[in-house]
Amino acid sequence: MINLRAVHLLKPIWRRKFKNSLLSLEILLAFFVVFALALLAARYHQLYYLPIGFEYQHMWSVELQTSASSGSKIDAVAYDNFKRNVGAMPEVEGLGFVLYSPYRWSTWTTTYHLPDGAKHFSANQFEMDDDAAKALNMGYLEGRGFSEADEGAPHTAILVNKIFATKMFGRQSPIGKIVQDNKPGSPDARSYKVVGLVEEFRNRGEFMMPVPYLIKRFSPLSNKHRLGAMVVKVKPNTSRLFEAKLTQQLKLIRSDWGYRVAPLVELRKSMFATDTIPLIILSVIAAFLMVMVGFGLFGVLWQNTTQRIPEIGLRRAVGATTADIYKQIILEQLLLCSMAIAVGLLLLVQIPITGVFGESVNWTVFGIATVVSIFMIFSLSVICSLYPAWRASRLSPTEALRYE
Amino acid sequence: MLKNYFLIACSVYVRRKLFTAINLMCIVLTLTVLLVLTAALQTLFYPTGVEGKSVRFLQVERITQTNKESSQSNGLGYKVIEQYLRKMKTVEAVAALSGINEVSVFQEERLVEVQMRHTDAAYWQILDFKVLAGRVYNADDFEKGRFVAVISAATAKKLFNVEPSVGKKINVMGQVFEVIGVVADEFHINAFGGLWAPITTFPNSSYRNEFTGYFSALLLAKNVGDIALIKDEIAQISKQINADEPGQWQSTHIWADGKLDFVARTLMNNQTVTDSGAGKLVAIIVAFMLLFMVVPALNLINLNSGRIQERASEIGVRKAFGASNAQLVAQFVMENILLCLVGGSVGLLLAKGVLVWLGSVGIVPHLQEDLNGQVLAYGLVITVVFGLISGVIPAWRMAQLDPVLALKGGAT
Repeated sequence: MINLRAVHLLKPIWRRKFKNSLLSLEILLAFFVVFALALLAARYHQLYYLPIGFEYQHMWSVELQTSASSGSKIDAVAYDNFKRNVGAMPEVEGLGFVLYSPYRWSTWTTTYHLPDGAKHFSANQFEMDDDAAKALNMGYLEGRGFSEADEGAPHTAILVNKIFATKMFGRQSPIGKIVQDNKPGSPDARSYKVVGLVEEFRNRGEFMMPVPYLIKRFSPLSNKHRLGAMVVKVKPNTSRLFEAKLTQQLKLIRSDWGYRVAPLVELRKSMFATDTIPLIILSVIAAFLMVMVGFGLFGVLWQNTTQRIPEIGLRRAVGATTADIYKQIILEQLLLCSMAIAVGLLLLVQIPITGVFGESVNWTVFGIATVVSIFMIFSLSVICSLYPAWRASRLSPTEALRYE
Repeated sequence: MLKNYFLIACSVYVRRKLFTAINLMCIVLTLTVLLVLTAALQTLFYPTGVEGKSVRFLQVERITQTNKESSQSNGLGYKVIEQYLRKMKTVEAVAALSGINEVSVFQEERLVEVQMRHTDAAYWQILDFKVLAGRVYNADDFEKGRFVAVISAATAKKLFNVEPSVGKKINVMGQVFEVIGVVADEFHINAFGGLWAPITTFPNSSYRNEFTGYFSALLLAKNVGDIALIKDEIAQISKQINADEPGQWQSTHIWADGKLDFVARTLMNNQTVTDSGAGKLVAIIVAFMLLFMVVPALNLINLNSGRIQERASEIGVRKAFGASNAQLVAQFVMENILLCLVGGSVGLLLAKGVLVWLGSVGIVPHLQEDLNGQVLAYGLVITVVFGLISGVIPAWRMAQLDPVLALKGGAT
């Protein structure tokens, strides 16, 4: 009985194979785009809830616009001046210098090696001074933050994130381990010693992919280059007008520099706006395709039911109820969709299996995207077949049989 | 003959109102989206208004220096513009402009974020800004390093609301400028901004010694024919800079590009090769548009193929009277194109509406896109291409019908 029913469903589908193959192709294309959208949205959602590794509430960033080129050094006295004068303001709870402000589109990557040359990979890196980690309220899983004690040590102190530690040292504790920023034995290889392990550090914020990350200690005394920004932790309830006061204070310290002052919450907001642009573009395309496929399904189903009036009449005449006709038309439609989706999934499942997009398409994300996109396509199919099915089921058998 | 086709087409479309409506909706929606896209690209590549001279000027934006193992790509330093580009023989004028800098302006205890650009006086000559009040700064202001500023209408509203702005003093990050003019808001790559001041008002003059920095240059040719000459001279200058620059790079690349090349080079990052990648960019855009047409075209193919049966007797009669397959295909394709043209005209109106809406809603500030003659021409091409894609297969299938079967009405 069940077999018979399936055959009854498949036969009419096969009879209209040209039309149905075009329709399936259309559904397939729409499925791909909806899937991509669901995938991206799921990934964004997942990323949003991962730790970023620093605090952005009640934090301000001050980007320094010096006239000198970025390779040149700022005097250690200048750093000290800033720290003392800005730190003395009543609103300020702490401050430190960082390579560039968090929530900006900057990245800096270098390949790091184990001293014995056994392993090497490219990692994002960042630089900050002793106070910045404190101001940013970074937590340590193991080890400690930077301190005065690291000054003058033979290896520059570094913090690494969990991904870096696992990838470089496996299961061993990373504390005290040495890495180099060039091939072992090459003359300009500098070595670094891990002093602390952090959960995560994602300087571009919530939507940045978690990557191996390494933070170097910056020493105003011995480093030959300069840091580009300052992070300032302020008391809660500090008003936006603090900006004018802070700029004024900064101008008193160095009047020939420019300062870009902004609360991190604002930078975060504009970063979000930029990061969600691909999502918006994809949504528009997906919506367009869904509407198109909707039109197509509706039109073709309408046409089908019109052409199949005799067939439907016959079925009614031999005892099929209104509900049966309804069911038949909607089931046929869902079967067609399932076939298109099956083909689509067969192709899409290659992404997490082969891992071409790495961690960004993991199985969780893939699973969510599959469920969401199948649901969307099925609901579209059902919505589009409701009216034609209703119209077909309403025909009285006598009328239907007379149609020809 | 054409008149007959036309009449048949009309009667067919009127007879099946629902299908005509669905077909039309597919066509209208698709063509609206594509027309808006075309208008956006047209504005980007062939701007009118403030960057209306763009066919005559070339943009120089980056200096790329390479060695065997490393390379760096930066904005131009002012020295490149002052010492090399300004001395070019093939150009009429050279403008220097900085990138956009977000600055804070303090105005009566309030803080206003403004996008600031530093430029020279030639900038105002190459770009055709609409001056709403006062004047823009001239070569004299520039050379003497006067602290004068031009602001945009939007900035004027933010800072002074309805009061006249000319003559007011503003405090920009500790420097006090006198506002001497207000210009209309613009959207284009080189023109958008909220506040302009002479480059010579920088706190110190170290920028004059830098080969790399944050400037770009616009080179205005005397006429369109000179553009090739300018490009040749720029190639010479690249070599000269490579020899003069102290960094010991193996090669230095500077490119002077028209709009399309400029966008292509930036997107493809072709900073070290002569080819900007414009051909590839155009190919990608066309491919994307075609891909965009696929789903609606599939709809149309499907719906039209479904009507073979309905028109079987007509086809049978025509064939019995000696119409060839080719003639029938031509007729059906024409019908489809006709419908597409109707859809295209509606799409055009909708696209206009969408552009007006986009302009007013302010997702992109000061966006001024419009449909001009060229966009209409592209729109026509897109419509006909879409009509062909969606019309040929069903037409061919219809024409294949066996006349005997068709006359019996038994086509399946």
